[in-house]
Amino acid sequence: MFVYEKKLQYPIRIKNPNPKLAKIIISQYGGPDGELGASLRYLSQRFTMPYPELKGILTDIGTEELGHLEMVGTLVHQLTRNLSIEEIQAAGYDAYFVDRSLGVYPQSAGGVPWDAVGIGIKGDVIADLTEDMAAEQKARVTYDNILRLSDDPDVNNVIRFLREREVVHYQRFGEALALAMEKLDQKNVYYMNPAYNP
Amino acid sequence: MECEKCDYKNGRLPGCAPLGIGTIPRQCGDSPRYETEKALVRGTLFPGLDLPLGNIVNSSVPDVPAAELMALDFAAHDLSLYLDTHSDDAEALSLYKELLSLAKLGRERYESLYGPVSKSELLDAESYTWLQGPWPWECGKEE
Repeated sequence: MFVYEKKLQYPIRIKNPNPKLAKIIISQYGGPDGELGASLRYLSQRFTMPYPELKGILTDIGTEELGHLEMVGTLVHQLTRNLSIEEIQAAGYDAYFVDRSLGVYPQSAGGVPWDAVGIGIKGDVIADLTEDMAAEQKARVTYDNILRLSDDPDVNNVIRFLREREVVHYQRFGEALALAMEKLDQKNVYYMNPAYNP
Repeated sequence: MECEKCDYKNGRLPGCAPLGIGTIPRQCGDSPRYETEKALVRGTLFPGLDLPLGNIVNSSVPDVPAAELMALDFAAHDLSLYLDTHSDDAEALSLYKELLSLAKLGRERYESLYGPVSKSELLDAESYTWLQGPWPWECGKEE
């Protein structure tokens, strides 16, 4: 089960609301390579994973991603707090506002609601861990692009932290894949799928 | 996996790797490491994994009451991910225990001043302080 800790993983204090920036950052909340998909991908892949190392890394990174979901939601919330109607209109936030007010909704920057189509759960050790490595790279690129689009130092401070976590997770998933390989047939790692071997 | 010595800047690479499957080098050893505060600032405990876009890096974290606790918890967490894939590293385990014990003290310090981080802390509470703000996503007075 999960128990809430009443703190963020990394502190967030955004001085200046900026709905234009919130519109792109929300993609890491509910977009194709966002933190909601990341957490659900890893926490769901766990169920069929053999080997304690794989169960452990997916549980721990999946849990950290839930913390990142909270952080990205915090960014969107702080960037859109106390907006006047004039500010909403000037920033082009009206299309979002009409449906959600200032609520934080899992969607991509393009307005597409979160979709499980963006995550891979294949029930195969090599396929799933390779998916996870690719997912970390895609999230890293999204954070790269946010850094290219944002000139708010308070926001970028947080984005750099989240981006670096993708690099670390990529390394750990790569190591998890290496550990899994050691347990497979050394002459043919595709001889069988240890997650489905009736 | 056997790790051969090489000139790679922060670790050793496997001597050989099979074809037809992705392979990235395993981190060999939990050293060098950043201090806990710097680890939080940079987003990793390990300089070898600190690979920023355009070499632009954070120099500090926002000044919040929980920053010290966040740094201790984060360092312990990042080391635990390392331990997930290096569970036989006794030196890293001993450092992990040290960090857990520091984080426990940090948590007690924080909770005595700012209220509970987890509900189990309400065991000694005189009132239901769980609801006291600010909540983590709030930035302070105006909410």
